Amino acid sequence: MIRFFMHRREGKAKRAHPNPVLCTDVAGTARSLSSGRRKAGPVGAFAPPTLPALFAFLTLLAPAFAQTAAPPRQHISIGYVEIEGDPRYEPVRGFERLILKTREHPFTGAQIGIDEAAPLVRVLNTEFALERITVKSPAEVAPAVTTALEGRGIHFFLIDGPAEAFKPLAAAAKGRDALLFNVSAEDDGLRRELCAREFVHVIPSLAMRMDALMQYLASRKWRDILVFEGPLPADAETARAFTRSAQKFGAKIVADQHFKAGTDPREREQNNPALLSAIRGNYDVVFVADEAFDFVRQVPYHTVLPRPVVGSIDLEPMAWHWTWEHNGAPQVNSRFEKKSGGRRMESADWAAWVAVKMVVQATLRTRSADFLKQRDFILGDAGFDGDKGLPVSVRPWDHQVRQAVLLAAPYMVAGSAPMEGFLHRTNELDTLGDDEPETPCHMNR
Amino acid sequence: MPTLRLLSAQLCFVVCAAALSSAGWAKDTGLVFVSNEKTNNLIVIDPKTNKVVKDLRTSRRPRDMHFSADHTKLYVACGDDDVIDIIDVAKLQVVGKLSTGSSPETFGIDESRRRIYVSNEEGSSLSVIDMDQNIIVQEVPTGAEPEGVFVSEDGHFVYVTSEVGDLIHLIDADSGNVVQDVVVGTRPRRFAATPDGKELWVSAELSGEVYIIDRDKFAVKGKLEFLPPGMRKTDVTPVDLRITRDGKIAYVTLGHAAHVAVVDVPTRKILGYILVGKRSWGLGMSRDEKTLYVANGFGDDVTVIDLKTRKATVSIPVGRIPWGVVIDD
Repeated sequence: MIRFFMHRREGKAKRAHPNPVLCTDVAGTARSLSSGRRKAGPVGAFAPPTLPALFAFLTLLAPAFAQTAAPPRQHISIGYVEIEGDPRYEPVRGFERLILKTREHPFTGAQIGIDEAAPLVRVLNTEFALERITVKSPAEVAPAVTTALEGRGIHFFLIDGPAEAFKPLAAAAKGRDALLFNVSAEDDGLRRELCAREFVHVIPSLAMRMDALMQYLASRKWRDILVFEGPLPADAETARAFTRSAQKFGAKIVADQHFKAGTDPREREQNNPALLSAIRGNYDVVFVADEAFDFVRQVPYHTVLPRPVVGSIDLEPMAWHWTWEHNGAPQVNSRFEKKSGGRRMESADWAAWVAVKMVVQATLRTRSADFLKQRDFILGDAGFDGDKGLPVSVRPWDHQVRQAVLLAAPYMVAGSAPMEGFLHRTNELDTLGDDEPETPCHMNR
Repeated sequence: MPTLRLLSAQLCFVVCAAALSSAGWAKDTGLVFVSNEKTNNLIVIDPKTNKVVKDLRTSRRPRDMHFSADHTKLYVACGDDDVIDIIDVAKLQVVGKLSTGSSPETFGIDESRRRIYVSNEEGSSLSVIDMDQNIIVQEVPTGAEPEGVFVSEDGHFVYVTSEVGDLIHLIDADSGNVVQDVVVGTRPRRFAATPDGKELWVSAELSGEVYIIDRDKFAVKGKLEFLPPGMRKTDVTPVDLRITRDGKIAYVTLGHAAHVAVVDVPTRKILGYILVGKRSWGLGMSRDEKTLYVANGFGDDVTVIDLKTRKATVSIPVGRIPWGVVIDD
């Protein structure tokens, strides 16, 4: 059963609502020409408008009024689909009462995108709104999207689900008038084997993130790398992607050590970072793949050689980081923190924000609420402002959004990939992740 | 109508002051002022020697700067302290502050009404400040991240860009209402008006264009695109622009493309590109229009360009993240 919740607070606390209710967040509040502004303070010091000014003012008002008097206001709803109890948003704990990281659904990211569109109401006569749809399991994502598409005419959806939600979704959406923005699943398989036209992958793929990290290491000439690989399937995926990036950019994995978290002395060869890092030969850096964020915490300062640690801690490749201070990022971060009540903007928030921006830009640039026109605009050559330097855009072969990836240290962004010197024949952003000749997915052919 | 009389008295005051200043009130020092976002200071350069003559502390994050008509005062918007610092140009000292909204970035002055219009990057509004009373008399809501501010010559209209909204707002200065919007390219930044008052040029940073707005119709009538040799379209991120007094030549900084474009205004033809430093943003032109100063945000220096030969002659280290340049001449 699909359920909708209303006025649910952000976060994991108390979210159930007894009755199925539709939650619509209309932040695109319309401000007509005469409202939405306030006068503050005394104005007595000013002269009233002179006659020519009044005349000029009235002349200008004429077309403006004509604009608002014309057709009825259009509404574009964007669905936001999430899964209740999605384990990816459980807090990361050291112990039960020691919370290392809280993790939140990126709904606020989508909301700031809607807020930014508010002034466009005057120009476009269109309001944008979010419809938050919360389901119980990954299997319910596809039916929820179908229902909203057929029953309520929603064409754009932000999908905040794990990889397993996407296969049934691809089947359900195939050939339909829907565009589904993947805002939180980084699995390469969704871009490669699944390869569905109705998806736009806004969050960077794992391959992109690993390429970004490897470009950074290569640019510092840290080419000999010791890998620590965890026991989870996701750790194996990450280590595989990283190894592939190493081959791509000419680095060397000097050893791939499989670790097992714990303190059992009989397993010390696997659980002691000093022993794991006591290998024959040198290495420049230690890369750790640890999805659980458990063992990796003990790696910095515990290696035999004094070497930086990267990957799951200390230097992490990310779509977004709260310390990014270029390209207008401080303003976005500040709008986000205000909206979320102090939470810092993260990668999935960035993806949700950009997905909404894409829909808004498509409406603005095509001057149309026609889905097919909007979709063609988004999937075309258009560049969007992602506040990360080079304009972001959709790769025609696998519908991954090409973008810069930030190399985030805890309190600063150490670099932004593509790093200087990594060149590409058409767009340097395509040095990250699957370029056209490398992918098995060719939607553009 | 007492208020009208007051207005005309103010007008007379300004006009008379301007007339007198040209007769010798202004020191006309020729000094070049560079604001540095990250080091909270203005660097003052002697243009004859290209040497730094003064390091002037300001409030935090100084950005846009404008002189009073008589050049006795320099106003500096300081984004992290929500103030506009007032600098005594003769003494090179901060002598006062005006309060603004959240994170002031650029502003325009209308001396006849004693008003400052300042865009508040964080607050998504334009603050109207009474310069004499030092109060915000009005807040005009704008699209997110307002930046460029241009006050029409007669003071009746204010144009403001919204970087996130991709809009230019036309604001009626008397009522404080947005009366019209026009859609331009992505991330619109700053303005330059042609001297005939017919066109307003607007830089669109992320789409790499300059839009030309017909001011009578308030509609886009053309646009320029740039591509310096060896650069890619995506490197081109135009920010600041200046048009010469005869309305013939425009100079546009191209940000990450590290060049200044030279444009023939009547034909809109690009005449050439001048190599400058990393992330070139702010521009300052000497009154004789012989020298152009370019603030290189990621180079922490200012490039000096000889406009006759259209070549960079020297780079002067200033502070961290130089934002803009103005010249007391």
